[in-house]
Amino acid sequence: MPVESRVDAMTDETIKIECRSVSKIFKQRGGKVQIPVLNSISLSVVENEFLVIVGPGQCGKTTLLRIIGGLETPTTGNVLLDGKEVSGPGPDRGMVFQKYTLFPWKTVMGNVEMGLKLGGMSKKERREIAGHYINLVGLQGFEKAFPHQLSGGMKQRVGIARAYANDPKVLLLDEPFGQLDAQTRYLMEQETARIWLAEKKTVVFVTNSIEEAVYLADRIVTLEGKLPGRMKSTYVVNLPRPREHIDKEFLKLRHMITHETELLL
Amino acid sequence: MESETKLKDPFSLKITPWVSFISFFVVWQLLIDTEIVPRILLASPVEVGKLFIDKLTNPDPDGAVLMTHTMISLLEALLGYVLALVIGIPLGLLMGWFTVAEGLARPLFEMIRPIPPVAWIPLAIFWFGIGLTGKVFIIWACGVVPCVINAYTGVRMTNPTLIQMARTYGASDWQIFINICVPSALPMVFGGLQIALALAWSTLVAAELIAANEGLGYLITMGRRLLRPDMIVLGMVMVGLTGWVIGNIIDRIERRLTAGLERGGAAT
Amino acid sequence: MKTTMEHTISVHATSQGNGPAAFVRRVLKNRHFLYVVSIAGLLIIWHFFAVSSKDSKYMPTPFMVLNELWRIAHENLAGKNLWGHLWSSLHRVLIGFAIGSIVGVPLGLFMALNRYVNALVKPVFDLIKPMPPISWISLAILWFGIGEESKVFIIAIGALVPALINSYNGIRLVDPALYDAIRMLGANRWQTLVEVTFPAGFPALFAGLQISLSVAWSCVLAAELVSARSGMGFLIILGMTMSKPAMILSGMVVIAVTAYLITAVLSKVEKWVCPWKVELMQ
Repeated sequence: MPVESRVDAMTDETIKIECRSVSKIFKQRGGKVQIPVLNSISLSVVENEFLVIVGPGQCGKTTLLRIIGGLETPTTGNVLLDGKEVSGPGPDRGMVFQKYTLFPWKTVMGNVEMGLKLGGMSKKERREIAGHYINLVGLQGFEKAFPHQLSGGMKQRVGIARAYANDPKVLLLDEPFGQLDAQTRYLMEQETARIWLAEKKTVVFVTNSIEEAVYLADRIVTLEGKLPGRMKSTYVVNLPRPREHIDKEFLKLRHMITHETELLL
Repeated sequence: MESETKLKDPFSLKITPWVSFISFFVVWQLLIDTEIVPRILLASPVEVGKLFIDKLTNPDPDGAVLMTHTMISLLEALLGYVLALVIGIPLGLLMGWFTVAEGLARPLFEMIRPIPPVAWIPLAIFWFGIGLTGKVFIIWACGVVPCVINAYTGVRMTNPTLIQMARTYGASDWQIFINICVPSALPMVFGGLQIALALAWSTLVAAELIAANEGLGYLITMGRRLLRPDMIVLGMVMVGLTGWVIGNIIDRIERRLTAGLERGGAAT
Repeated sequence: MKTTMEHTISVHATSQGNGPAAFVRRVLKNRHFLYVVSIAGLLIIWHFFAVSSKDSKYMPTPFMVLNELWRIAHENLAGKNLWGHLWSSLHRVLIGFAIGSIVGVPLGLFMALNRYVNALVKPVFDLIKPMPPISWISLAILWFGIGEESKVFIIAIGALVPALINSYNGIRLVDPALYDAIRMLGANRWQTLVEVTFPAGFPALFAGLQISLSVAWSCVLAAELVSARSGMGFLIILGMTMSKPAMILSGMVVIAVTAYLITAVLSKVEKWVCPWKVELMQ
């Protein structure tokens, strides 16, 4: 029965990411205008757990993800990865962006192997590893294609492969399917689950769709619907995988979360 | 490159532009004063300033007061420019919408289009001499091109949904043209105006440098003939200044008239 | 269902109904038919106007222009034939363009990357920018005489401005998300520059170079019109002083064709070099 619960540090699961009272205030030019975006977020992510953060638009969830990734710094509080404080972007956190953000001048292979190239790996090794992940996301045969030749779903697969190939400690996905149409979105959710089961990693996934959250998550954290973002509730999802969108338990959980939040999906 | 909102610029960054600006003139002045650059090759800022004040009232040695030169140049440029607008914009708009207009006008236009504006000068002088008519013709010929292109593109970029909607109301081709295509093309038309203006002004200067007996280009050429670099620089500065001022004026007019319309043509 | 712009916003060329009247109407409104009519009409009007004007001194017939074109391609004027003059001009353009871009592009890059360089250079650049390159001609002649240097100087100035502006903007307007992506993959400062800044800014930079080259072509003509002893600009001025409009017009034709070819070739090169560039509306 999905229930509000805390992950117990006494179990033998290691905590991968820890956010400690993270708050964020955005300052406009000169510090005159202050916009509080996050208010005292404390959460932990366990190793190889698939955590989903759900909230409506403009609730700070993207900012939270970017702070975990190191692209933004918290105003107060900090984020620990494997016990060490996060202080900037880095290859140990892989990120998948909502707008794909692929490098348009590079082929699919060029994009996926980019992280490895930056790390100084030899071409042969890079190609092998990148090739493996291109296959994993189901894009075999498209290694030489350019992003502008791909559909939205395919572009996002490249984004996922690119993040995976760099062998990060955690994967951060920022509403990765927001730009896709409904059909492709369902497909990509299934693909994500499949890929993650094939090669497990710690994942923090941000979305505004409760359905998506229930489908993918081991654990769901909901944020309040208005700024500054505050944690609302936590749900553990014990449903067996692969999950069914129309399964009774699935819908029950979905209904429960919907009831508690302002979201409708 | 930072995703954080920028903090205030450090003071050193704020004064650097001024330092640069002032040093530019100081160095320039010093180059002349210390004779590193011979006086015959370049006039110092002070000398140019003196000449500026002098020429406000003194018609020597080139035959006219500074304002006269400026006004003549402006007159020639603006006359040609306005003619270019008056012919080019309606033509471009019509070409964008009516196949007949495009079919007939396009070949001639495509032949004129690749001709660099300055290349018209010898022909214009041959036909019309070096007076006002010739200059106006040149400016017109080169200004017409961007006006037509931009008006044409502006109409072709009209949101097709708006047109389809108008058709469902039974609007005629002409009504659609006047009420939808033309207003929607305004931002691009103004873009064309800016381009045409810059072109008109620089082409006029070129024409005056080649053959004229009045105007800022003439002033510059006289400066060379009389070995008076201060006249040359004064002429150059006035050219730049005038061009900049009228560019700004057009910009302001544009902003007033297109407030509310999206830049890029499609008013949704 | 007609969904392309061409069909929705052009006049209903396909009129309803069959039968000879509708057919004629359709033909009359067909774009290509009108092109042909227009060109033919133009040539005819031109010819008759030229022939009927008092002493076709002012306007040569199309045929005379072609004739003249042939003549200058083979005979020498002031020491060179058409190709010689064309090469003179192109030669100056290439050198001036090279100098202008070699200075302008890196300068624009540094201005975009470093706020101090920007603060230092921009004020002076903004002073120089509104002055048309050709207005420098008198100073250039004073300094360098009427030889090659004065012309190359003008061309270099003309080429520098768009090269600088476009490389500056190209770098400045790189999508910041790309920087996020590359940093999350572990890039250091240098790698970010090489792997994102430069490739992302390249299309705009290349567009700037295209503009530079076109401007350079205009500048060489202008400089040659003022004072030269060879080149296409010189050729058409010669036509003017010799009262030979056919020479002027044939020179203009060659100038226009060259300008067109420069643009066309560069467009092709651009498609080959930056295949990913999204076609933005002007």
